[in-house]
Amino acid sequence: MRSALALVLVVVLAALMMAGVSQLPPPGEADQAVHRHVAANYLADGVEEGGTGNRVTAVLLDYRALDTYGEVVVIFAALIAVLLVRSAGGPRTQPPPRRVPVSPVVDQVIRLMTPFIALFALFMIIEGHVLPGGGFQGGVVLGALMILLSLALGPDRLRGALHTGALFWLRAVAPLAFTVSALAGLGLVGWWFALPEPGWMREFALVLLELAIGFGGAAALTGFFLSLEEDIHR
Amino acid sequence: MSPNDVFDLLILTLLIGCALAIARLKDLAAAVVLFSIYSFSLCLLWVHRGAPDVAMTEAAVGAGITAVLFFYALTRTGRREK
Repeated sequence: MRSALALVLVVVLAALMMAGVSQLPPPGEADQAVHRHVAANYLADGVEEGGTGNRVTAVLLDYRALDTYGEVVVIFAALIAVLLVRSAGGPRTQPPPRRVPVSPVVDQVIRLMTPFIALFALFMIIEGHVLPGGGFQGGVVLGALMILLSLALGPDRLRGALHTGALFWLRAVAPLAFTVSALAGLGLVGWWFALPEPGWMREFALVLLELAIGFGGAAALTGFFLSLEEDIHR
Repeated sequence: MSPNDVFDLLILTLLIGCALAIARLKDLAAAVVLFSIYSFSLCLLWVHRGAPDVAMTEAAVGAGITAVLFFYALTRTGRREK
């Protein structure tokens, strides 16, 4: 009975989605509404106004900076929620679950790959305003690297290696950087999130924002992971 | 049908196959690997459709950190679904 009900629900949902998808315009058609509104301006003036040749960056960090601000605040809010829930739990009575040791092959491969993954993540963050990718992607790769290292070395050594005071502030650096960017734009240029005037200043501001998103995101992910991991052990 | 469409269809078939296999597998480690393959296929589709930024996000989040977190969870529980 329940599976029949589930089947009916799935079929109805699939039919609705198919009906919706079939109404979408064919990709790349130039006279559709999405291409006639602001897209032409972004394509024409994006390089000039955005401070970089990459128009995706211009949209993310300049034209739609408020949306990106919302995204980094959401990640920060999620981190705060995890920390709050964790601290509210109180000490656990049951013993921690058995830890399966990592195989030596996995351990060695993680150690071998670490410098390359770190370099790639840094490259994505720093060159993110010019190339595809950027602070968010680089930050996620950096956060994944931290979790891998925690697998190989053990979370306690990772916690010791990362200066916890620095990690504490780094977790809030992305929302803080966007707040500063919004206020600086309003004060110096005249509207929220405006980038400063000469071209090299714009590029510098973009690099700073990407660095903040990247390291802030990586610190937030590492913070999530370490606090959940600690919770398992309590 | 153009070669572009054939490529898209191949990727979509792979995606559906992966999704069905993930749902049926009892070996959770294999399911995580298949989930990574699913994400990388989707990543190829994004690149092919001209969205390299989305593709890099998919690779970093879907195939990267999610797989790492799942594997970490597996070291805490068991490899087989009960």
